[in-house]
Formats: sequence, structure tokens, C-alpha cells
Amino acid sequence: MKTLYANIEDVMREAAARWTLLAYFTLSSVFLVIFAAAINLDIVNGSLAGAQLFGKDMSVHDGLPIDKLVLGFESGFSGFLYVLCTFLAIFATAHLVPRMQEKGTVDLYLSRPVSRVKLLLSRYVAGLILAGTNVFYLITSIWLIVMWKTHVFHPRFFLGGLLIMFVIAVLLAFAFLIGVVTSSTAVSIMGSYGLFFFGIMLAGHDRFAAAVSKEWQATLIQAMYWVVPKTLEMAKAVVAFVSGASAPEQIQSSLALGPFLSTAAFGIGCLVLASWLFQRKEF
Amino acid sequence: MNVIEVSGLKKQYRSTLRGARITALDGVDFTVRPGELFGLLGPNGAGKTTTVKILLGLTRATSGNAKVCGLDVSDPESRRRVGYLPEGHKIPGYLTPRQTLSIFGRMSGMDNATIARRTGELLEILHLSKWLDVRVKKFSKGMTQRIGLACALIHSPDVLLLDEPTDGVDPVGRREIRDILRDVAREHGTAVLLNSHLLSEIELTCDRVAVLRTGKVAAEGTIDELTRRSPKYKLIATPVDDALLTIFRDTGATADRVNGHVELGVTDLDHLNAIVDKVRARGAVISELSPMRSTLEDVFVDLVKAADVTVGATMEAK
Repeated sequence: MKTLYANIEDVMREAAARWTLLAYFTLSSVFLVIFAAAINLDIVNGSLAGAQLFGKDMSVHDGLPIDKLVLGFESGFSGFLYVLCTFLAIFATAHLVPRMQEKGTVDLYLSRPVSRVKLLLSRYVAGLILAGTNVFYLITSIWLIVMWKTHVFHPRFFLGGLLIMFVIAVLLAFAFLIGVVTSSTAVSIMGSYGLFFFGIMLAGHDRFAAAVSKEWQATLIQAMYWVVPKTLEMAKAVVAFVSGASAPEQIQSSLALGPFLSTAAFGIGCLVLASWLFQRKEF
Repeated sequence: MNVIEVSGLKKQYRSTLRGARITALDGVDFTVRPGELFGLLGPNGAGKTTTVKILLGLTRATSGNAKVCGLDVSDPESRRRVGYLPEGHKIPGYLTPRQTLSIFGRMSGMDNATIARRTGELLEILHLSKWLDVRVKKFSKGMTQRIGLACALIHSPDVLLLDEPTDGVDPVGRREIRDILRDVAREHGTAVLLNSHLLSEIELTCDRVAVLRTGKVAAEGTIDELTRRSPKYKLIATPVDDALLTIFRDTGATADRVNGHVELGVTDLDHLNAIVDKVRARGAVISELSPMRSTLEDVFVDLVKAADVTVGATMEAK
């Protein structure tokens, strides 16, 4: 545990020194202040009677139940937060392995009586805590502002953050794998973002497979779909989870276990491979 | 019991592009005892850093054995009693000395109270107490080197591996570091393995030295043993002409005129006395005859030159 705590402290201090944390919290706070100040709702007997955005009146359906409006807003906004939080988290943590592997630095870490796997996983956990802090701050703040403005308590939006963290954990595992192999922060970030968009593209795997002429190509596309994290399905799953029973049918299926299991398997596979390569690597 | 045991250590790298094997170590053997200051010398590419990296588990040996404190170097526990100061180390600049020693101390399994006590002690010794809470990025090269040494010493190791520890440190700082190393070796029984290009530094600090050459131990012994090899004598006599030098050489001695005196290389004292007889027989007056000691640098350069000759001869034969 001492190794884990030492690594968490190291990662947090680095994030603070590099202004990563401060920049993130400042940007998030500015966003939150604007968000809180921009929306003014007039609620009468639990229904929306009027709404203003940046001081301008918005047309609203008379008697729209406020809880439905909040649910609609939160489910839509959770999709936006899914992308924002994932990208910010990778940006803030992808350097953890490349920086550790720098000549003159790696010796300091590896000359301690800590196994390499433990060292790598400690940094992974530290990275997740850093990313989780960011996600928690943004989602909790928005959740509290919505509650303050509407008096509607909707825990699913808050819990949706856990699904976002799940995807961040998988992509961070991939970023660690690339980091171990290339020792490059830029390649780790680009690779992880590329994987994110590749996962979205592969959501159309059935159409692509039908369009190719050879059977092996179709098999390859289907295989890739099951190997690569299902980032689009995960986005839909976040929205479906936050929406609850009111989610449209077409996205309800995203909450099935299959995409989660295969995405988790990819993340675990990346971590195992990264650990194995880091263990074997010569410095 | 030896705290470092290296036997038959071999390391070969495979060239990435050509696939050819490059031999970095070719059967290295040496041991280091507790409390001993041991120097590892050698020209660039001789295998010094590779040896240290193998001892730390940073790289793996192709064959042979390396043990630290009785444990095989593949066991992370072997590093529990080892402190290491790498050459050109990069202690994260965002950390202060207090934070640095806290993080790396905990990674060595220390508790917070012990870390706090050792931090105070070490920074006092290394004259960094005033800088306890200043970020390392603001430190000079010498100060960075000293905090690196504190980091290596924080857990009171039994074995200290140092790669160019006085690099960038001023002469006063170098002397202080030497004194610290002697203290930890003599008072705490810490074995120090010093890897340095600064031969004078090794000569002033170490009890025993191994000289690596093309991946092998070319010479090993105490400084006294190494510098006493091939005894030479300084001869000042008048007159000493070329004919006399030829007579010296005819006896099997080496004789070179250097800065107004003659450097004589003889096999033993009888040989020296025979040469003195030749000088007197020629009517020359001896004003000085004194034994010369080789410096470690002389020994080192001779060994490296010998390697170059061998390599050159091998290439010609091919």
C-alpha cells in the first residue's frame, strides 16, 4: 500500500505542478458558473411555466413536468459529458508511463524494492484517481446545480459517472500499453483518441461487413468489432442508464452485458500485456 | 559474506536492424565486501553501466550470476537494501526534497516517522536543510546531485551504487561527498560501488578497484596493488647520453628521457643495481634515484592502450 500511496501522491503533485488539475478545475468551474447563471426556470406546481437562457425567454410547452425536463436534459448532457470527460482524462493521464520511462527517471523508480507490475498498476490506479477526481467534480457540480435550480433529485445522472469512468479505465489501459511500448505521450494520446473513434466507426460493423466482397474481410470486421472497445455503445449506455425506463428502445439494448464484457476484456487485456511488456523491458 | 557477488556475468544485445549480437559483458567476476568502497573503472562502452543495471534488475544478464545481499538480482527484494544514484538522474522537478524523500522512502518500505528523521539527518549532512521545501527544479547541478544522493541514502542501504556521483559538483562539494561515502562505509558498514570516469575521484575514495575493458575485468585490486605494478624509477644523473640509454635497454630495462630525467623500468632490485653499476662505470654522477608510483590514470591508460593494440592486432589478422 505504501507504494500505491507514494505513486498517488507523486501523480497528484505532478498534475498540480503541471497545472493540469488547476486548468481542469478552472475550466470546469467557469463552465459550471455559466451553466448555473444562464438557466433560469420558472416552476409552478412541479411544472415548467417559463424558462430563460442567458436572460432570453425560451418557448416551453405549457405544463411540461419539470422532472421530465430534467431527465431529458440530464440524459442528453450525459452524452456530452461522456466525450468531454473521456478526452480530458486521457489528455491528463497519458503521460504517466512515458514520463516514468524517461532515462534518469525510470532508474529511480525501478531501483526500489517494488515489482514492476506493482509499480505500473500503482500508477494506473493513481491515473484513475486523477481522472475520477475530474469526472466527479464536473458531474457532481452539474448534478447539484440542476437540483438547486429544479429541486429534482435524480441520482442516475450522478451514477452515470461510473459508466464514464469504466470507459476511461479501458482507454487508460490502452494508453498505458502504448506508453510502455513507445515511451511517447503524444502517441499514447493519439492512439487512445484514435481507438475511441475507431470504436465508434465499428458500431456500423454489420453494414461494413455486408459491403465488403470477401468473406475473410467480413469476418475481420466482425472480429475487430468484438475486440475493440464499443465506445458508441458505451455512450448510448450512459444515456440509456441516465434516462432509465424512459430511454428510447433503440438505445436500451446498449445496456446489454455483451458490449460491457468485451470492452472490459479489452481493457484487462491491455493492462496484462502492458504489465508483461514492462516486466520484460530492459532499461 | 560479500554483499555483491558477480560471477561469469555475460550480456549480449541484439542489434535491432542487423540482428548481430553485441557483447557488452563477457564473463565479469568480482565481489564487494560490507563497508568496502569499490570502484568500477573502464573506458566508454566497457560495460560499467551495464553491470550496475544488471545489479539493479534494470536489465537482464544473458548468463552468469549476480547477487546483492545474498539475493538474486531478479528478486525485487534484493533492492530493499540498495541505494542507487544514476548518472544524469532526473528527480521530478515539481517535488521538494521533503516530498522526494517521502515518496521514494515509502517506495522503499519506510514508515513516515523514520522518513522524517532520516530526511532531517541527510539534508543537514548534505547542506540542503534550508532548501527542504523548495522545488528541485530550482536547484543547481551540484544541489541536484546532493538530493539524488540523499534519495539513495534515505533508507540506510547496505549497498550503495553510485554512477558519477560528483558530476557537476564543485571541489568542496566533491570532498564532502567523499567524506559522506567514507562515513557510511566505515560507520554503517555500507558497501559502496562507485562507477566514475574521474580516476582521481576513485583513487581518493576507493579501497579496491576493478578495471573493465571490452566487457571483461582487465585488472582488479587495491589502489596500492594496481599502482605498484611495473615499478619504475626516476634517475637524475650527469651525463646521461643516448649511448648510456642504449646500455640500459640492452639489460632488458625500459629507459625514456622525460622532462630532464630518465624513467627506468626494471624487473627487480638486482636489475636496478646492475644499471647503477653501468652508470658509475661510465663515470656519470647520480644526483637522484627514486621509485616512481604509477597513478591510477597511468594504470588505466596502459590497460586501455593494451586493449587497443589487441583489437588492432585482431583486425590486422582478419
